[in-house]
Amino acid sequence: VFLALGITLVAFVLTNLVPGDPAAANLGQRAIEDPAAVAAFRKSYGLDKPLPMQYLIYVEHLVHGNLGISEQTHSPVRHDLAKFVPATGELALISIVLALIGGVSFGTLAALQRNRPTDHLLRVASLAGISMPVFWIALVVLYVFFFRLGWAPGSGRLDPGAEPPPHVTGMYTFDSLVTGRWSTFVDAVQHLVLPVLVLAAWNMGLLTRYARSAVLEVLHEDFIRSARAKGIWGPVLIFRHVLRAAMPAIVTVLGLLFANAMTGSVLIESIFGWPGIGSYAYHAATTLDLPAIAGVSLFVAALYVSVNFLVDILYGVIDPRVRVG
Amino acid sequence: MVCVALAALALALAAGTAHADGKRSTAGKTLVIDTTFQLKSADPARSGEPTGEMIDKPIYETLLTFKGSNVSHPLPLLAKSYSVSKDARTYTFKLDPKARFNDGAKVTSADVVFSLRRVVNIKAIASAFLAGVTRISAKGPSTVIIKTATPNPALPYILPNSALGIVEAKVVRAHGGTDAANASTADKAESYLNTHSAGSGPYVLKSFDIASQVVLSRSPRYWRAKKAYFPTVVVRNQTAPTQILNVQRGVDEIALDLSPTQASTVRGNSVVVQRTASANFVYMFANLSPSISSVTSNPHFQAAVRYGVDYAGLARLAGTGAIQAAGIIPSMFLGALPPNAGVKHDVAKAKAEVAKSGINNPTATLTFASDVTLNGLSLATLAQKIQSDLAQVGIKLNLDGAPEAGLLDAFRAGKEEMGLWPWSPDFPDPNDYALFLPGQVVGMRATWKAGSSPQIESLMKTATTSSNPAVRTKAYQQIQRLMNASGPFFPLLQPGQVTVYTKGLTNVAYNPVWFVDIAAIGHS
Repeated sequence: VFLALGITLVAFVLTNLVPGDPAAANLGQRAIEDPAAVAAFRKSYGLDKPLPMQYLIYVEHLVHGNLGISEQTHSPVRHDLAKFVPATGELALISIVLALIGGVSFGTLAALQRNRPTDHLLRVASLAGISMPVFWIALVVLYVFFFRLGWAPGSGRLDPGAEPPPHVTGMYTFDSLVTGRWSTFVDAVQHLVLPVLVLAAWNMGLLTRYARSAVLEVLHEDFIRSARAKGIWGPVLIFRHVLRAAMPAIVTVLGLLFANAMTGSVLIESIFGWPGIGSYAYHAATTLDLPAIAGVSLFVAALYVSVNFLVDILYGVIDPRVRVG
Repeated sequence: MVCVALAALALALAAGTAHADGKRSTAGKTLVIDTTFQLKSADPARSGEPTGEMIDKPIYETLLTFKGSNVSHPLPLLAKSYSVSKDARTYTFKLDPKARFNDGAKVTSADVVFSLRRVVNIKAIASAFLAGVTRISAKGPSTVIIKTATPNPALPYILPNSALGIVEAKVVRAHGGTDAANASTADKAESYLNTHSAGSGPYVLKSFDIASQVVLSRSPRYWRAKKAYFPTVVVRNQTAPTQILNVQRGVDEIALDLSPTQASTVRGNSVVVQRTASANFVYMFANLSPSISSVTSNPHFQAAVRYGVDYAGLARLAGTGAIQAAGIIPSMFLGALPPNAGVKHDVAKAKAEVAKSGINNPTATLTFASDVTLNGLSLATLAQKIQSDLAQVGIKLNLDGAPEAGLLDAFRAGKEEMGLWPWSPDFPDPNDYALFLPGQVVGMRATWKAGSSPQIESLMKTATTSSNPAVRTKAYQQIQRLMNASGPFFPLLQPGQVTVYTKGLTNVAYNPVWFVDIAAIGHS
């Protein structure tokens, strides 16, 4: 509760410190000169009241689950979040799973092959993955696989004019599966391939480096030496002993990467025409759409808190010593 | 990791999950229009943004319209004919008796009155189009009378705007709509009109997603004999770089937001690149108030700026299709100056004016919106070119770029020393540009007060109120010639308007009000 109050207060203060008028940013060049239109706009969004009063009203509505009406979409912010968050969530979830599998595998391989050609190759590749701008990779991938080769569909979540599946979660792949719309499912998966891979490439690069470093550290531990002395080798040693000990460090990064993917994929969303929370936040910021800015800020804060909480729980699952403590 | 990701893609594609060939199998069935959305609502009374104008145009018919790119002659649409009183204050419209909404109900004068009053009373963007309208009334079932406080010869050029589309009053009322004076708070029909349509146009709204796409379906009950060609139209929200790829790969596809430079990268014989001058224009002003700036208020400094800017260079920088703005009125509107009547770049003259100004090392701050692009042209790029031009005549410009939302207050309050801003037409009539004149809204942003230019103000009165197009043209041209000789405004350029579309599409014509008339587009 205190966190929510703090975040909304900061969002209110910062947005109002910007030397701009939401009415000027949202009404046209002519309507802004019409006092009646400006007054109607201010009244409609509660901007005609003193700032402290606006904040108190906002908090009162917040208690009832009302995040206000967005000035850019004319819809309740709660509805907007329910629409835009699943679109980004679908992208972020799949890409992070892909990045986890690839990153941990390559990181472990690089650590086991330390200072050998495989290690050098994977380190260069992971460095390239995190060094190349995501928007550039996105454009190149779109150019090659959609434009030149025609192997993948272009932008958007579905083909032009295709009917979205009935709303269950807002994630088209899941919704189409549970409602039995197979052609929509295939269409949604095809449209996910390129943006997911672009988002996964960066995360995979980072995870590879973290996994390599964590695994290397564990490989030098006494208990690993003891295990080897007892004759434990191969997959048993790697999966049961090394990776389990390295996982807390990897999970910490993974949590942050997921939260980043949820909130920072605005460029990927723009290039792939993906109507997600990043684009919504960007437009809210440029039009001084206070209810939307506050709503997105709350969502981001809640997301980071939830992810950290989940990571803490995972520590206990991975490492029994944390559970006991 | 990119290589790994690409390898994964190859695997995914090999597994057969990817698209067969990237092309849609909907040739001749679905028209796809890619644009960067400037859209808030499908409700015409709450619309007025460029994308909203394009989407509402084929859904809601208006009293009058324009054909193709020609915006100099309003033509009848729902109104079969109209007449104007001698004092240009009373307009009488006779509705087409055959006109029907898409549910079969007759379009009546009551629907027109309801629709236009609703626009006025909702007090959103479109209400400004009907500023000065004092009465909208019905006389019988098929006659509508609109009265204005002052002579308004621009009204026939305003009424084709899609935001003034006619809705079926009964349906909209049934879903919470009202045209009452308190409609700004009492009208609740927007959510209905964002999911359904209540117009008489050739298309109906199938789905509306403000972030991704709007889908229109051809109306099965459209009242005119000539139906639209495409059964389905999808308008998608796409960035310009993605539009380039989509249109070259697409079938029956249009890209609306490419800059001339981006369009020059389009290759192949499968697309048509249509280039013309945009109706948008970019201008610069110098504040006349000595309390804001002792430099920019100096008439010789203003003259030095006027002759110091390399207009042809700016147009070249803006790309093919861009032209110098000869005056404040765009080249395709009534009252525009001929292309060769613009100010000529004259370095010697500019230097002489700097000397006459008596200011040592004249320095001023040019403010511009760093996040604004007009037809793909960044204001920051223009500002840098102007800075370089004026440096050659001895004027130092400090560039002050910032996000637009943070600049509007100071701009509107007339506190900017010098400003670089775009203007997009609200309606294709020169009266939209009278706002730049002394004492008017935009004029006051440069502190150009009423009474400071009696000759221009006298001409303004004639130009804005006469119902004779020839008289208006002459007056507006005189005004612009006087503005090009002295005054605070410097019209710079009209950017190039590029429309790229796949071969085979017909009637893809750029219109300053609604970009393209979706319902007019066909296939050869």
